Amino acid sequence: MGSGPGGGDGKIAPSGRVAAGSAIEFRLDPGSGVPTYLQLVQQVEHALRLGYLKPGDQLPKVRDVVASLAINPNTVLKAYKELETKGLTAGRPGQGTFIQATLSQVALPELTGLRRSLSGWLAAADGAGLDRDGMVALFSSALRDFYERRRGSRTRGSPASGETEGVA
Amino acid sequence: MTALTVPARAERDVSPRPVPWRRMAWVTWRQHRIALAGVAALLGAFAVYLELSGLQMHHAYAALIACHPADSTACQDAGALFTGSYGIKGVIAAILLQAVPALIGAFIGAPVLGREMETGTFRYAWTQGFGRWRWALAKLVLLAAVVTAAAGAFSLLFSWYVQPLFAVGYTIPFTPMVFDLRGVAFAAWTLAAFAIGALAGMLIRRVVPAIAATLAGYAGLAFAAGLFLRQYYTTPLVTNKPDLPGSAWAVSQWYAKDGKFAFPARGSQLVDAVMQLCHGGTGRGPGISGPGSPAQCLTQHGYTLWTNYQPGSRFWPFQWIEGGWLLALSVLLIAVTIWLVRRRAA
Amino acid sequence: MNVVETSGLGKRYGRTWALHECALAIPAGHVTALVGPNGAGKTTLLNLAVGLAEPSAGAVTVLGGVPAGSPAALDGIAFVAQDAPVYKNLSAGDMLHVTGNLNHRFDRAYAQDRLAELGIPLKQKAGRMSGGQQAQLALTLALARRPRLLVLDEPVAMLDPIARHDFMATVLAAAADGVSVLLSSHVLAELERVADYLILLSKGRVQVAGQVEDLLAAHRMLSGPAGEADRYADRPVVHVRRGEAQAHLLVRAGAQNPVPDGWEAHPVGLEELVLAYLREPGAAALPGPARGRGATMTEVAR
Repeated sequence: MGSGPGGGDGKIAPSGRVAAGSAIEFRLDPGSGVPTYLQLVQQVEHALRLGYLKPGDQLPKVRDVVASLAINPNTVLKAYKELETKGLTAGRPGQGTFIQATLSQVALPELTGLRRSLSGWLAAADGAGLDRDGMVALFSSALRDFYERRRGSRTRGSPASGETEGVA
Repeated sequence: MTALTVPARAERDVSPRPVPWRRMAWVTWRQHRIALAGVAALLGAFAVYLELSGLQMHHAYAALIACHPADSTACQDAGALFTGSYGIKGVIAAILLQAVPALIGAFIGAPVLGREMETGTFRYAWTQGFGRWRWALAKLVLLAAVVTAAAGAFSLLFSWYVQPLFAVGYTIPFTPMVFDLRGVAFAAWTLAAFAIGALAGMLIRRVVPAIAATLAGYAGLAFAAGLFLRQYYTTPLVTNKPDLPGSAWAVSQWYAKDGKFAFPARGSQLVDAVMQLCHGGTGRGPGISGPGSPAQCLTQHGYTLWTNYQPGSRFWPFQWIEGGWLLALSVLLIAVTIWLVRRRAA
Repeated sequence: MNVVETSGLGKRYGRTWALHECALAIPAGHVTALVGPNGAGKTTLLNLAVGLAEPSAGAVTVLGGVPAGSPAALDGIAFVAQDAPVYKNLSAGDMLHVTGNLNHRFDRAYAQDRLAELGIPLKQKAGRMSGGQQAQLALTLALARRPRLLVLDEPVAMLDPIARHDFMATVLAAAADGVSVLLSSHVLAELERVADYLILLSKGRVQVAGQVEDLLAAHRMLSGPAGEADRYADRPVVHVRRGEAQAHLLVRAGAQNPVPDGWEAHPVGLEELVLAYLREPGAAALPGPARGRGATMTEVAR
């Protein structure tokens, strides 16, 4: 953050990013169309999957995220609350937000099986004449319906832009 | 990044006590110290000159009065030499010093508010906790006090300097250019110039035009006071004796006949009268009253010369009067300036 | 608590009303963006809120009912005007002393630490600093007063991208510490990242005011056949963009409203929303019927 030399507390590394105190560093993709808070949630989940974050690790402090990304603090709070709702994190008052669970890991044989059936589906879709974007649209629509049925009514917050209701 | 703590939100700032006035002392000094240094330099330079030149003059005068016998040619010549060399220096010094209050007022007074408005820093200064009109009042009063005190001290030095010239009768305390450099007048004129500058800065909101306006306004006021107002602070005394007491100030003179006003003792009417009555007199002014002179001629025709004058003893009352109305004017101008600060919309 | 509350607020300069019938209730704890084209009245509104100007009509109170410009208001609000005015012939350290002297509260330690972090030497004269440094100095002085509301007028207009990012990072960090922020801008990009309350001023009137989340949830973009666009004249349509065959309607109707057959609905981004309202001066989206002119909408008949 900024051009400061090693700050008084020694925490600011030459690259300008907060080096100590947190396992991960957030980044923003302003052009992706994904709401900011959701990007933060997804990055935490992604970091969990890849093993950068383990249960007990502390997420960056709200203030530090705000200072390095220049985003609204309520956005960060919203992301952290979403993670807490999902059961992935827990806030300890006065200390911060900590990882408390992992994402459910799927066993490798299961993953292989799922991938094989997916390849079969893709071949069938291709045979039916769907192009790449058509496949993506069909899959996204079915995915959404699946979760809608699962969770009941949904508020706005669909992860992908360009989502259509009712494919032409 | 350094963390910032905000006062607890439950804390209700119920009409906080005002920030103490004394805080403005350092602020005013720091912001205006260059200008104040300029004033110190200006007055300092003149002070050094007056000190050196004054010492010289005082020694020469001491030598002059030690000269015996007083009416010998040698001593008379020495007197003329003294007057000739020191008189003119005194005149030049007095002329230059006329500008000092105006310069102080313009260069200290005008930028106080003028620069804040011009550079936009009033948007900083007037949103601080101190409050805008208290800020302005503190600054103006502090600076006014400093420049007035400095001017007052300086005028003491000038009074000492000019004493020998009074003693030899070269000039009198009432002489306009000398009157306003002594007593309380110099300090009061400086204060008035400062007040004019402050108001000009607030009205015009640009430093350079405000300086110009201050100089012009001050000049107008000073000329008006010196040439027209001062003579009539109290009703002048009247006499028809041809010679005035030593340090009296002749305000006006005229000729009267049979108890009635005839014509002023200068100007075209006098010239016409002299031409008519004295068959081609030179029309030179009164005071040359030898035989054959116009004054003599007019007297022969029954005209009496009357003089309005202010006796020298009225010097200090006049100083207080002048100081008084200048002080009142300054207070008024500063009050108006503060009022403008209070009500001005950004 | 509302950090700024106005009712019927108006300001006139000569014959022109720079601000007209302005009714706002800006809640505390938010970063509020005041947007609008040049000349819309943003600076006027901010000047009224910080006490630099007096209303010509109506009233403005701050920090929960305190009259704007009063000593309590001056104490709790820190203002950084356009171009971040500081005394150019004073050093950074001098500015700290001056600001400390002019206020009840001044966290000198914070200010010194912050300037050190920023790499601004205390002896550096403000006039010799870069634009970004001057802005950061002015912001540091404002935050060191520990205000409850920070008001910024076009704070980043003159700054290069890095300076802009650092400046906003500082502002947002202060917001994370509990300072409410009100800032004006005529740059729309990046607004959505920074602001969670929006006020849109257009020609001296409040066109849109509300929480960003609520505003975005309450609008959608409907895309469909151009020929059918006029059928929706009875819907709260804000703005229409049409080609020969396809049209896009920005409607004030949330996800709970059904989408007509043959039409698609997309969520709207903040920038798109603001631009649409700016193009339709007659449209308004105000929170609740009791405020100002209420949620009046015009129909766009094409």
